[in-house]
Amino acid sequence: MSVRVLGISGSPHRHGNTETLLDAFLEGAGNAGGSVEKTILKDLDYTPCRGCNICHKEGVCIVKDDAPGLLEHILSADCLAVASPIYSMGITAELKGLIDRAQYIWARKFVLKTLYFPDSHIRRHKGIFISTAGLAWDNVFDAAFPAITAFFNTMGFEYYDNIIANDMDRYKGIRGHPTALAEARAKGEEVVRVIERLTPD
Amino acid sequence: MRRMRIKILAFAGSPRRHGNSETLLDWVLDTMQKEGDVDIDKVILVDAEVNPCRGCNACEVLNKCVQRDGMDILHDKIIDADVIILSSPIFCMGICAQAKALIDRFQVFRSRKYVLKLPIIPPERKGKRIGIFISSAGQTWEHVFNGAIPSVKCFFHVIDVRDRDIHYLMVNGVDEKGAILKHPSAQKDAELLAHTVITDIRARLAG
Repeated sequence: MSVRVLGISGSPHRHGNTETLLDAFLEGAGNAGGSVEKTILKDLDYTPCRGCNICHKEGVCIVKDDAPGLLEHILSADCLAVASPIYSMGITAELKGLIDRAQYIWARKFVLKTLYFPDSHIRRHKGIFISTAGLAWDNVFDAAFPAITAFFNTMGFEYYDNIIANDMDRYKGIRGHPTALAEARAKGEEVVRVIERLTPD
Repeated sequence: MRRMRIKILAFAGSPRRHGNSETLLDWVLDTMQKEGDVDIDKVILVDAEVNPCRGCNACEVLNKCVQRDGMDILHDKIIDADVIILSSPIFCMGICAQAKALIDRFQVFRSRKYVLKLPIIPPERKGKRIGIFISSAGQTWEHVFNGAIPSVKCFFHVIDVRDRDIHYLMVNGVDEKGAILKHPSAQKDAELLAHTVITDIRARLAG
């Protein structure tokens, strides 16, 4: 079976820098034989986590909208590419909204202990963070990493790599960047091959 | 001369009403309220109808946001306040999505300040505003607030609160609702911070 690659675009902007970088990654993954899918968060209907903690007892989210379905879909992917531009030194509210809604999966793992990902599962499930930022600062992505790390951990994915490009304002967009799109395509091919090698026949 | 009243604008960012981060905020506000010369405006963010930023960048040209929602009311309050307070719990190693949406909507101030190079507040109030970030986290890790702070700094910097004028009241290891009530020093810390800030802002406004 081909490697299932799910890309999630957390940008409110369609076809902007971040989504274009995600597209390049997915194109590479597709070229390597991966079965590729993309979800646009802004087209989904979900609210942020209410912090009610009912999931700590029930193991399910009581809010019935598009978030639980997407999170279950993520659990069935082999490779998860999460993409968000940097807004105010962090990921977008749309993506943070989805990540916070994964609390019920966290609760299954750490409160109810009804869900467990063995190391072999985590090793063959790879998470990639894709991001762009207008600012040139080297530290512009730093505050995004902790939430992404927490999300991959919760969902049973190894944090495999980042595909990030800053200084978009100077390059006048991702298409003006000298290497980012080619690197994203190469990374997409690479990760599909790596997962294939880890998959038992 | 009649003493100038101090305007406090506080955002309770948590989706959970009267939980740990809002209790910390209330301790600060209650202490400030006793001072007499303060006007407090507490905004419950989940009820304030602040949508996420659309990233359209129209504010870089228009000097205002194209969205019509709760920010229409908050915009002038944000400019008028002497002390701005943001409280948010830590969810998944960052501020909650509701608070991040508010921070991202400050893009209109960022555009005004850095792109259009227009003033945010009148010159006589420059360097006088004070900011407070209040947070609670279930995790006991020392670094649990690190992912939140850079966005919080953006929030304050773009509305002309200088980096050295941002105060932080962050309490880790409080998870379940009410856990903050059992914390050994949180309430005293909150009250002390409120006194410090009120004393400071009063002197600044008089000077």
